[in-house]
Amino acid sequence: MSPELILMLHPTFGVLGIIAAVWVFVETLNANAQNVARLRLAATSSAVLIWLSWIAGGYFYVLYYGADKALIKAGPWPFAHGFVMETKEHVFLMLLVLATFLPIAAAGQIIASRSLRSVVLWTSALVVLMGLAMEGAGAMVSMGVKVALMSKLL
Amino acid sequence: MSKTDTHGRVAAADDLLSANVTGYGMSYAITSLVSALLVVLKESAEPVMNLMKALAGHHWVTQGLFDLLLFVILGVILSRSGAQKTGNALSAYIVGSTIVSGLIIAGFFI
Repeated sequence: MSPELILMLHPTFGVLGIIAAVWVFVETLNANAQNVARLRLAATSSAVLIWLSWIAGGYFYVLYYGADKALIKAGPWPFAHGFVMETKEHVFLMLLVLATFLPIAAAGQIIASRSLRSVVLWTSALVVLMGLAMEGAGAMVSMGVKVALMSKLL
Repeated sequence: MSKTDTHGRVAAADDLLSANVTGYGMSYAITSLVSALLVVLKESAEPVMNLMKALAGHHWVTQGLFDLLLFVILGVILSRSGAQKTGNALSAYIVGSTIVSGLIIAGFFI
């Protein structure tokens, strides 16, 4: 598989992980005996998808990002690496751990405990917000490469 | 007798979470803060950065593995401690640590 396709898997898994976290949030608002299995499936799916996003993005980052980094730093948007990418790659690790916690929390007595529903709601909401921030940051990094290449052509 | 909502669920927001959820939730809160501080440390101290590069071939891979290991180890220890928190308290720790850790990381690189 080409490095570019591997890179595309990173935001794809990420978006699917975000959607699964939205699914968890909605099921938790209405948690009952009929949907609890679905809620736990969504929580596990979100964690697995965020892990897959980490693996795909990390593989590209470690092996191939060096060339993009050099381009960005020499281009008109050096902050796309110096601030955006540096922040993104480290905040993503928090998202990875938080997404891992989501199915652990959802495995508890979620129907009986309002406290647990509150924790699952906050956790899934944070996974969504942090995931969206990662998607936006990734777009900024891609634009950093694009403007660097465009500046070479002009 | 506890009040219940339309699904027959307990409506009180102050029931205690299980030790397992409390332990792993607090583990996330601590891990995210430690991870943010590790970013500052490794970017400020070259020996730390070099050590992290040597351990797994790339500092970011080392940090990812360290975070996951710390989360699991702290989660096991804190779960076995039997401590329990309310949902509001644990949610505050989770949200608060996420915001503070994010600000530490973004603030360092800005």
